[in-house]
Amino acid sequence: MEIRLVNLTKVFPGNPKKNIPDTRAVDNLDIVIPDGKLIGLLGPSGCGKSTTLYMIAGLLEPTSGEIWFGDEDVTRLSPEKRGIGLVFQNYALYPHMTVYKNIAFPLTNLLVEDPVVDEKGNKILAFYRKHVKALPTEIPTHLKGEKVKNPFKNGREEILKFDCSHIAGDPILDDKGEQLYVTRKRHLTKIEMDKLIRETAKLVQIEQYLTRKPNQLSGGQQQRVAIARALVKRPRVLLLDEPLSNLDARLRLQTREEIKRLQRDTGITTIFVTHDQEEAMSISDEIVVMKLGVEQQRDHPQEVYNDPKNMFVAQFLGTPPINMFNGHVKKGVLTIGDDVIREDLPKDLDEQDVYVGIRPEGFLVPADKKDYVFNINVDMIETMGRDISLVGSHKESIKPSFKAILDADTKVNVGPLAVGVKPNKCFVFLKDTEERVI
Amino acid sequence: MAVLPFKRKKQETFVEDTGAMKGSQNIDTKKLKLVIRVSNSSVETIEKRDKVLKIISTILVYAFLVVMALVIILPFYWMIITSLKTDTEIRATTQTFWPQIIMWSNYADCLGRFNFPLYLGNTLIVGIISTIGTLITTIFAAFAFARLEFRGKDTLFTIFLMTMMIPGEMMVITNYITVANLGMLGEDNAIGVFAAMIVPFWVSVFYIYLLRQNFKQIPNELYFASKVDGKSDWNYLWRVMVPLAMPTLISIFILKLMGSWNSYVWPNLVADNENFRLISNGLRSSFTATDGNPQYGLQMAATVLVTVPLLLLFIFFRKYIMRGVGRAGIKG
Amino acid sequence: MEKKNNWKAWLYLAPVIILMAVFTFYPLINTIGISFLADYDYTTGTSSGFTFDNFAFVLGLKGVESGGTVSYLTDVIQYAIPNTFIIVIVTVPLSIIIALLIAVGLNSIRWVKSVLQTIFFMPYVTNAIAVGMVFAVIFESTGLWNYVFGTMGTDWINNGASSANAMFALCVYIVWHALPYKILIFLSGLQNIDKQYYQAAQLDAAGKFKTLMNVTVPLLSPQILYIMITSFIGSFKEYSSVVGLIGKPGTSGDVGYRNMYTIVYYIYDSIAVNQTHYASAAALMLFIVILIFTLIQFKVSKTRVHY
Repeated sequence: MEIRLVNLTKVFPGNPKKNIPDTRAVDNLDIVIPDGKLIGLLGPSGCGKSTTLYMIAGLLEPTSGEIWFGDEDVTRLSPEKRGIGLVFQNYALYPHMTVYKNIAFPLTNLLVEDPVVDEKGNKILAFYRKHVKALPTEIPTHLKGEKVKNPFKNGREEILKFDCSHIAGDPILDDKGEQLYVTRKRHLTKIEMDKLIRETAKLVQIEQYLTRKPNQLSGGQQQRVAIARALVKRPRVLLLDEPLSNLDARLRLQTREEIKRLQRDTGITTIFVTHDQEEAMSISDEIVVMKLGVEQQRDHPQEVYNDPKNMFVAQFLGTPPINMFNGHVKKGVLTIGDDVIREDLPKDLDEQDVYVGIRPEGFLVPADKKDYVFNINVDMIETMGRDISLVGSHKESIKPSFKAILDADTKVNVGPLAVGVKPNKCFVFLKDTEERVI
Repeated sequence: MAVLPFKRKKQETFVEDTGAMKGSQNIDTKKLKLVIRVSNSSVETIEKRDKVLKIISTILVYAFLVVMALVIILPFYWMIITSLKTDTEIRATTQTFWPQIIMWSNYADCLGRFNFPLYLGNTLIVGIISTIGTLITTIFAAFAFARLEFRGKDTLFTIFLMTMMIPGEMMVITNYITVANLGMLGEDNAIGVFAAMIVPFWVSVFYIYLLRQNFKQIPNELYFASKVDGKSDWNYLWRVMVPLAMPTLISIFILKLMGSWNSYVWPNLVADNENFRLISNGLRSSFTATDGNPQYGLQMAATVLVTVPLLLLFIFFRKYIMRGVGRAGIKG
Repeated sequence: MEKKNNWKAWLYLAPVIILMAVFTFYPLINTIGISFLADYDYTTGTSSGFTFDNFAFVLGLKGVESGGTVSYLTDVIQYAIPNTFIIVIVTVPLSIIIALLIAVGLNSIRWVKSVLQTIFFMPYVTNAIAVGMVFAVIFESTGLWNYVFGTMGTDWINNGASSANAMFALCVYIVWHALPYKILIFLSGLQNIDKQYYQAAQLDAAGKFKTLMNVTVPLLSPQILYIMITSFIGSFKEYSSVVGLIGKPGTSGDVGYRNMYTIVYYIYDSIAVNQTHYASAAALMLFIVILIFTLIQFKVSKTRVHY
């Protein structure tokens, strides 16, 4: 199910009496979420990502804009009719029900569609095949309003009735074109429910806890139950609100792999919300970075990291975060302080001060080119096993210190050091708009 | 994904699965087509129907609430209009929802049978003295239970709480004997009768419980800080805890005062002399049903006089009253 | 520190302990004692010894001789016990269900919510005697009730009333008076339920009624248990409402007044005529019944109540 958000806006009204202004939680959001993908909505708290999720779920009504599931506009549809599974941040498992009953609860409200031989339809079909060659689209004009004795009269009426569909659901002709079927809706039987519940429980690996109450389970297990409850009804879309935030560090790693696996196995379009960039990067097929209700960038996680559109995205992604410097551009040459960093900037760019962002892994020691070196001061060296982290300072650095990640074999000493800068790890942003130049 | 060892261990120790239902192996769940309970109507129709249903259900909820609210409010309304009706109108076979002649004189006349100022005075004396006494004992006890350490604290507190379950009648019988044998119940023994109406009510386990909960919420750090400053417990209690617990104390004060206003059983037993009666007793005994002509107009005027002060108290201290009463249920 | 505080703590507790010793613990034991004394006279403190007859008398197991005939039908067995049980069985479930519905309704609305909330709380701040007298006027034979329901002339509470009528009027009044407290407790319980449970139920396409029965009620079970226990105890002890409706106890021997006779009513009647041994026996039995009911409810709640 492809999901499209068109100009989606949510304004929480303020209180003019108390001088609380309106809050634009989501501002003209346009996103297309491709079918069967796992998408992460990423942003700092207050960026409107949860609001977006709740609007997709139908729990919040958008101020304006549209939400499309495939070719169906669901904007005004109430949540229970959208066919979504939502996993709440704190899971919201019913504490008084066992795990089994928690998972069963959505099923008790669903119906199942069975194909049933359409006896009446088949009769009409036979009648029609015997007497009428082509199905009349309308009553022939010469018969309108006249009481003409007509051998086909009853037949036509029945055919017309048949057109109006005498049973809810469209009749379906079987492959051989001989028998008509209609769908009948009925409740699930206890046995069918049981099978579904157990299958779903197996999928999330909680079969052995079915008779327990949620408070007898660990956080991770509770979360699986919540996912099972969302999945058991075979939703068109699965929504996860901060799925890993209530878990401890080890469980987090494990669970995020599991979410990825579940999504791949079920193929359900999945949207999850997180403020943790690492989490979003590690499992999403695509991430949407949001800031103050506005989409900043949407792409594959690695693309977003490698090619951030603006300073916000560059700063938001990556641990340790990107290092920012004050720089200057003149005739395509980028300098930080007195050091020339790059010479390949567009020539038509006006001379101006800019921000320069260099990823921690973007430093080269020793510098590869003699011409462009970046003279920094090394204050401290932190060993981290696989790499070493170099804490440096520079008079143009925006923060008092910055970090460089280097290979553990690199030989460095505290003190002044000339380093090289990898061009593809070095981004230039305009001072006013914070848009990226290169 | 890999199954971590700790999980496998749990699997072995807790096999709680009751097993799948019989016959479920024959079901192919992939063939089950689950649908949401909606007809094949278009989104617009569903939307429209949802809206209509929502409006209807809202109307039903409001209708129910308004009808119930009218049922609740009707006796008050009836009391007021009856207090302004003539006796003939009250006893007429056609009841009127607004008095034909407004009889303000009912109020003046009712005072002839119902000595409102006297009963009001008595009730205030009993109410205020017993409330102050209760507040003092409650503050001390709640402080001891909330902050101080002593042996048997939990046991004692549990015993206190358990007494709340005992019907008051068990105590009333002996208490009546006690005050009677102490010679407190004489026709002219004003001090004795008033003491009998006040002293037994200087303790309330429920309020001790309420205030203890409140005291417990005050962070320990404040207590230790005051200890470091060299303040005594006494000082800390009055300078820190009591001011912080003021809202609860106000709730207790008002609820207790209301209790005196409404108390009937005990004063009825101990106050034989009509001059010592409290307002509820005064009201009931001024209008006994046995005198042939109940004079409902006057009677209702008197009930208005008894009811209005309480309602005024409620309007002004609504927050404190509802919080004090509502607190009880939170603990469950 | 602990030792130093020890005597101080008892000092703080002294007033409460002394008062409770005199007015709670001593009476409890003494009342139990009196209930086993034959013909106890509190003014002189004399009795004719230990006996179980007080209980037998109250329960109608020991005949009362008057004018040569022995009657087993005491006021307690004939009126007080059946009436009390009727009050309990009728008013407790009825008031809980109505209060629950009102609370759920109130919790679901926003407009004029606080006005309605205030109205629903009003009976709590009224004097039981005063409003009882109002209900007496309403249930007069020419009163509002008969006028509205077209039953003019029916006697509900006076001497001529049938016992069913009298109990009906009494129960109406008791339910009316019992609602506000229950509504308040339920409402504060409802407000503590996490909204996400309702959102989850909505996403699971559970209907309104199903949500009420499967989500709201179970999550409100601690409050429901609390209210059940307190209202069982309260309605076993119904007294003031009777006094409000029909007047001072013991002033009339008319059969009509026995129509609303309750156990506690009997207890106070007995004190007034110096039969504290019967009063004690009745009070002790009431206590035991309440205790049993409470224990049963706690037991049941263990499986049903989610904390």
